[in-house]
Amino acid sequence: MSWETVIGLEIHAQLSTKSKLFSGSSTEFGAESNTHVDLVDMGLPGVLPVANKEAFYKAIRFGLATGAEINQVSSFDRKNYFYPDLPKGYQITQMTKPIVEKGSIKVLTDEGEKVINITRAHLEEDAGKSIHDLFEGETGVDLNRAGTPLLEIVSEPEISNAKEAVAYFKAIRQLVTFLDICDGNMAQGSMRCDVNVSIKKADDKELGTRAELKNINSFKFIEKAINYEIERQIRLMENGESVVQETRLYDSEKNETRSMRSKEEANDYRYFPCPDLLPVVISDNELQEIKDNLPELPEEKENRYISEIGLEQSEAKIISSSKTMANMFEEASSRTDDINLVAKWLVGDVSALLNKDNIEIDESNLSPENFGKLIERISDNTISGKIAKSVLEEVWENGSDVDEIIQTKGLVQIQDESLLEDIAKKVIDSNDDQVTAYKSGKDKLFSFFVGQVMKETQGKANPKSVNEILKKLLK
Amino acid sequence: MDKKTVTTISYLSRLKIDGEKEEKIIKDLDNIIGFVDKLNDVDTSNIEPLTNPLEKTAKTRKDEVTAKNLKKELLEVAPSANEDFFLVPRVVE
Repeated sequence: MSWETVIGLEIHAQLSTKSKLFSGSSTEFGAESNTHVDLVDMGLPGVLPVANKEAFYKAIRFGLATGAEINQVSSFDRKNYFYPDLPKGYQITQMTKPIVEKGSIKVLTDEGEKVINITRAHLEEDAGKSIHDLFEGETGVDLNRAGTPLLEIVSEPEISNAKEAVAYFKAIRQLVTFLDICDGNMAQGSMRCDVNVSIKKADDKELGTRAELKNINSFKFIEKAINYEIERQIRLMENGESVVQETRLYDSEKNETRSMRSKEEANDYRYFPCPDLLPVVISDNELQEIKDNLPELPEEKENRYISEIGLEQSEAKIISSSKTMANMFEEASSRTDDINLVAKWLVGDVSALLNKDNIEIDESNLSPENFGKLIERISDNTISGKIAKSVLEEVWENGSDVDEIIQTKGLVQIQDESLLEDIAKKVIDSNDDQVTAYKSGKDKLFSFFVGQVMKETQGKANPKSVNEILKKLLK
Repeated sequence: MDKKTVTTISYLSRLKIDGEKEEKIIKDLDNIIGFVDKLNDVDTSNIEPLTNPLEKTAKTRKDEVTAKNLKKELLEVAPSANEDFFLVPRVVE
């Protein structure tokens, strides 16, 4: 029997505001516990939340970039549940009137381009952090994160497999980082996702019962968790059992999903309008200003690189694939006239290293500034392309400064023509046989001499000069 | 209103109801809901839900950090805390 998978994603993107959604506390990551907490975050009696306008502006940027409807009047609701890291006993969220509705995003899948619709994107506050394993019989609570603004981006259940889910998540991450509304840092939890998975027979119109997978924070785990869950559901159905609607936790160590029954006991959030907060209105002027100042999006960048700079489409696609990559390109391009050199290095050596380590560019040790320096040093003939490769590899390993590596390792290219000529003469003198063969018509041997000179200079000779000198000497 | 509903609601709101009071509470809640239920007689199908009785819109904040570090003071007033964290009976997922 053939089964179809139906997947929907809820992505939580932490908005990169300086202060929290409803208070003036800092949102800085990694601060000492409970130092970014004020009376509003604590939910103490008598305090009133006041919404941070910047969070709305950032959410609207997302809405505009996904061709969504912007609700210029949006309001907040309370989602009620008890948990120690939720001080008020409810989370403030947008249930009935979210700021953003009905957008869509293009995703590149194995079968080509696919449009995934976005049901809604709403603002809500994050909870604090519970620490379970530090204290005997007790749970510690750090409220630094409580009240941090999140944009919850809910997709339609239109995703058909694990790979597509990852592609969708990557597209959203690319977009929010280009829009500068979220830093996209998965390790720090700036982007997390819940996945709804169900299966149905190919000709069934109704969706099957879904399970919600929680606690997933990497691309790799999204794919694994979904594939595990699909198999589990198929096994149940084929054994004549049924899928239970529940929340399941993905355990990356065991690569399995487990039921979180405790949370299911009473999954009734009793939403109601938050009486502490009035509807927030975005004026036409504000909306227009955000539209006018929308940053360049990945697709626009790609097209500009092709039409204005003259890159190949394949190059432009790779370079505009992430904000960091694009920053590298733009930083390095400002340091040289040879744009093709920049593109060649990014699409070639840098991409090869990324593939080898199977990481994203912003997980690497290479910064746009350091890459810019590398290109500048090749471009101004300080180092040869060959040496540059080894410098790049070292930067890749430990993130050292390009100029420092060049200085401390004495990698500066030999520009002294007379020195190069001496070395070339030596090479010619000690290879009589090859010289005779070359002069009798074996042109291919030319590269042998170049190689020997390079070897003598430990790759520090400028290849162009070496070519000229050898041609002169071997006449 | 039945016993099961009262048990669920009391669990959700973390309010403990003594067994002997349960009957009375069921009766009270029935009365209250019966009273409020009259509102359902009004046809509201074409009326936007009211999000707030004040016909005003929100004042908002600029994105600035204005809060001070109150760690010591806040942990001091907590029912249970050590020098770094609020402490609660262990919750395990």
